[in-house]
Amino acid sequence: MPAVQETIDTVARIDVDQYKYGFETLIEMDVAPKGLNEDTIRLISAKKNEPEWMLEWRLQAFERWKTMESPDWARLDYPAIDFQDIHYYAAPKSMSGPKSLDEVDPEILRTYEKLGIPLKEQEILAGVRRADEPSEFGSEDDSSVPPSEGSYGRRVAVDAVFDSVSVATTFKKELQKAGVIFMPISEAIREYPDLVRQYLGTVVPVSDNFFATMNSAVFTDGSFVYIPPGVRCPMELSTYFRINERNTGQFERTLIIADKGSYVSYLEGCTAPQRDENQLHAAVVELVALDDAEIKYSTVQNWYPGDKDGKGGIYNFVTKRGDCRGANSRISWTQVETGSAITWKYPSCILRGDGSRGEFYSIAVSNGRQQVDSGTKMIHLGKNTSSRIISKGISAGRSSNTYRGQVTANRRAANARNFTQCDSLLIGEECGAHTVPYIEARNATAQFEHEATTSKISEDQLFYCMQRGIPEEEAVALIVNGFVKDVIQQLPMEFAVEAQKLIGVSLEGSVG
Amino acid sequence: MTVHQLRPRTPAESALFALAPAAPAAVHAQAALDALHREGLPNRRVEAWHYTDLRQLIARATSGAVEAGQADDVLAPLLAGSLVVELGAGTAPSGADRDGLSLAHTGDSADWRTSPNHLDRPVDTVRLLNAAFGATAVRVSVEAGTELPPIELRAQGAAAGAHGFAICDVAAGAKAVIVERLSANAGGAPFSTGVSNLDIGDGAEVLWIVDQTKSAGDTHLGQLNVRIGADARFKLFVLNAGGALVRYEVHSVTVGEGADIAIRGVNLLRDKQHVDVTTTLVHAVPHTTATEVFRNVVTGGTGVFQGMIKVAPGAQKTDAKMACNSLLLSDEGEFLAKPELEIFADDVQCGHGATAGEINEDHLFYLMSRGIPEASARALLVKAFVAEVVEELEHEAAVEALEARIDAWLELSA
Amino acid sequence: MLEIKNLHARVAETGTEILRGIDLKVEAGEVAAIMGPNGSGKSTLSYILAGREDYEVTQGDILFNGESILEMDPAERAASGVFLAFQYPLEIPGVATMTFLKTAVNAQRKARGESELTTPDFLRRVKTSAADLKIDMDMLKRPLNVGFSGGEKKRAEILQMALLQPSLCVMDETDSGLDIDALKIVSDGVNALRGPDRAFLVITHYQRLLDHIVPDTVHVLYKGRIIRSGDKSLALTLENEGYAQIIGEAA
Repeated sequence: MPAVQETIDTVARIDVDQYKYGFETLIEMDVAPKGLNEDTIRLISAKKNEPEWMLEWRLQAFERWKTMESPDWARLDYPAIDFQDIHYYAAPKSMSGPKSLDEVDPEILRTYEKLGIPLKEQEILAGVRRADEPSEFGSEDDSSVPPSEGSYGRRVAVDAVFDSVSVATTFKKELQKAGVIFMPISEAIREYPDLVRQYLGTVVPVSDNFFATMNSAVFTDGSFVYIPPGVRCPMELSTYFRINERNTGQFERTLIIADKGSYVSYLEGCTAPQRDENQLHAAVVELVALDDAEIKYSTVQNWYPGDKDGKGGIYNFVTKRGDCRGANSRISWTQVETGSAITWKYPSCILRGDGSRGEFYSIAVSNGRQQVDSGTKMIHLGKNTSSRIISKGISAGRSSNTYRGQVTANRRAANARNFTQCDSLLIGEECGAHTVPYIEARNATAQFEHEATTSKISEDQLFYCMQRGIPEEEAVALIVNGFVKDVIQQLPMEFAVEAQKLIGVSLEGSVG
Repeated sequence: MTVHQLRPRTPAESALFALAPAAPAAVHAQAALDALHREGLPNRRVEAWHYTDLRQLIARATSGAVEAGQADDVLAPLLAGSLVVELGAGTAPSGADRDGLSLAHTGDSADWRTSPNHLDRPVDTVRLLNAAFGATAVRVSVEAGTELPPIELRAQGAAAGAHGFAICDVAAGAKAVIVERLSANAGGAPFSTGVSNLDIGDGAEVLWIVDQTKSAGDTHLGQLNVRIGADARFKLFVLNAGGALVRYEVHSVTVGEGADIAIRGVNLLRDKQHVDVTTTLVHAVPHTTATEVFRNVVTGGTGVFQGMIKVAPGAQKTDAKMACNSLLLSDEGEFLAKPELEIFADDVQCGHGATAGEINEDHLFYLMSRGIPEASARALLVKAFVAEVVEELEHEAAVEALEARIDAWLELSA
Repeated sequence: MLEIKNLHARVAETGTEILRGIDLKVEAGEVAAIMGPNGSGKSTLSYILAGREDYEVTQGDILFNGESILEMDPAERAASGVFLAFQYPLEIPGVATMTFLKTAVNAQRKARGESELTTPDFLRRVKTSAADLKIDMDMLKRPLNVGFSGGEKKRAEILQMALLQPSLCVMDETDSGLDIDALKIVSDGVNALRGPDRAFLVITHYQRLLDHIVPDTVHVLYKGRIIRSGDKSLALTLENEGYAQIIGEAA
């Protein structure tokens, strides 16, 4: 083989070295002893000043968890996790609880600035969102882009979660004026116990699955959102998750309730330092949409993916589920997954209300030794419900990328409609792309359409672009961006730009 | 691999195992029975049986009244002029003495341990059952370059003969049409199995037709394992039009470049039937092609399609397409589909499509507006829906015979 | 400007030899037509000039402005001024034509050490060229070549040529799939680009295109070799007599 040096160079350039958020914040932390046991749970509950009922809830979940086994049906290969070798709580010493922005440790503020997430409201107001940056060509002409696009300098309220605590939540006051509750869930448990009790665990039951049950026992922070009836949330809400401490897992819990006729768009981002050991992230997200309400939930997941040999990286086991509980309600999940060593994640919709609609738009990019097993479930229960799934998987390097999805129309779900389009793109000979759909029609009036394709970037397309002077890597990025365009369009604009860049970075070094 | 724990048998499992020959003559059979006792039958947590919980469903094979099947001698072969091979007979049929063909009742029991393909099937339940129930092998060899009249394989003689094991070698350049006849279990046998290993030599061409018209109380578990050589063509047609619980597995592997697979099938379901078609197509070498289309008509019961296309590392230029379309004519029926792709090579074209729905209202309206009464219009559209895949068979007699089967079913269901 | 010396090439995968010793010189400002029957190697020649990896040059050289381009990848060749108008322009779903044009123009500018065009500057250029070619700006918002008619695709190729301002334009059967009106528009577009610093290599089956784009030289390619060269009258001779006569003479 003449290409030995070339091969070495190619391997050396593989994406994971490109991870830009791998720095660590050196700060004094308050860390719980390792291990998952009753003491740990009591300690978390005490740190959060929780009411007794919450502790009981956690302990019951723990009892249940002890009887459960880690799921093995996904196409993921990783060594058994030692759940007793993990810290379940870590918080900056200066932060016994969320404080006003002025009191936040400057080191933490700097961390978020480095991540491109300004937490100071005046900075956000000053248009830090790069209003001067032109959007990508083509997309600006597109009518299918969400209407919010184009309103430059738009404000986004941010809840910043650093390891196990929320360190700051912006625009709380302004949101309160509209009646919107946006705060760390630990705070909501104290301040709005009735609301939390009414909904917590009603979408993802405590005993739902191994990781969700574990999360129920040890969740530390996350966001709580309540939009009152008829209110259109005046700004985008967003939570930014950061894992920082070594040997620590992050177990956040998010609960979003959109009351009748309300609307909210919520964004989520995540990053972690570059480390040799694997770190566990097991989150639960519950969404409830009542009559005529709409929730748009967008994720740009960029946890540390591990290095080129598969060393380190986040194990990401997430249970996300939305309940379209009311008639004509609507829940839409959009995800761009480029990070994590292991991704196990199936944002789903229970279409319970008549006329409700669920959507899932996903881009999953894997490179290096990453393993992704992700998809969705659309469970049609109500009459005249509809769902739409667009999934784009891109595998490169030696990664494995699986789409796993379920569409079910129950016997009484008259006129259920589903459309699924699920495409995979392979770059290179050592990766794998898999598609595992479960299509269950139990109703004669259900109409399902499912399509899946797997292909590679066509040599002809690549040559055509290069003939016009576009270098190979750029040409690949261009074609891939075309491939994922229908999903990118679903993202709020700032995220769309970020996501596009992220995909480019993730695929760097994937063409030899 | 996890360590196996002995799990208590369900009553249905115990009842089934009790049906197996008590002291099997062949060593393989005993080993298979032991393995079954150890593993038990799969439930839905075993991914390959996700929609067919055999541990529960097997009760259908061991309980309830068994209808007497049609007597052997009145069965005309599906294709006129076929050479009928009775798998349980122990002797070669008359007329088997032809140039280019050899038939041997080897007396070997089905050796379930030598899997003919490269599939990851740690516990191969159908093969185990087939071996444990004492199937013995019949070897059908078609010599290189010959073209023979159709061969019809049957396994419904005595109760013990309801478990067939056929080894079919079609040598290079030969052409063969083989009908696997799965008619009503005779002699009150509630449970039958069938395993066939088909080896298609380079440049050879095989049309394999599964003609399944079991009676309403029958349980049948079948399996077809196929190796396809270079530039060989494997054409398969599966018709499921009967049975209480039926599972038919197809596992193929391409071993030579230029191999081509064309699978078509029709599943017709009514009442409480449970019919499962599970296919795994492994593309192990570069430059092979496959198309697979199943059409399902469901007026009751549960239809299952699990279709897997696997492209092995290095199997570049694979072109494989799969489709599963279901017509649900009643809320009493359901169709569950799992069309999977598992791709380890980048320069491939693979895809699958699945649809489920009712009769197209526009088409119905169009026919009715031309004066066709609704019932006839519906029947016409259902017929058209399945006829499309039958007509793709480039074999006139087979098309005719299969359409007759389908018509009979549709008339009964109308 | 372009000098092809004893060029031998084969299909990389199968080893089938297609070009068997081509010698050809094209000067700046010249329009050279390559004609020949099916399978003579015309399209292969255009792909090899543009650097397609499916072909292997086994002997000979291609000099562009005096330097060999054989070691350059397609993007480098494009940046140095080689443009290929494809016989079948590729469709790229999801990539807006406008995005593609801008990426290409700026990638080439960058490769040449020039600054990138600002969006208004770029738009102005596109609008002017598009108007000349009667291309609706709405068409440029659509994904590249997806759903374009045959004529639209060819006009889009000429638009790219106009924007990229190459010094050597290789046109591979640009007339195929065009009706008379579209042929006129495309030819006018090409003629407008003719100039003392630019050369054209026009590959075609038929004389028809050469009525509109009048060549300075005509070369007949057969079995991977140029068997006859002449001026534009050679094309007319071919039109009247077919290839058989010339092939017979060459044999």
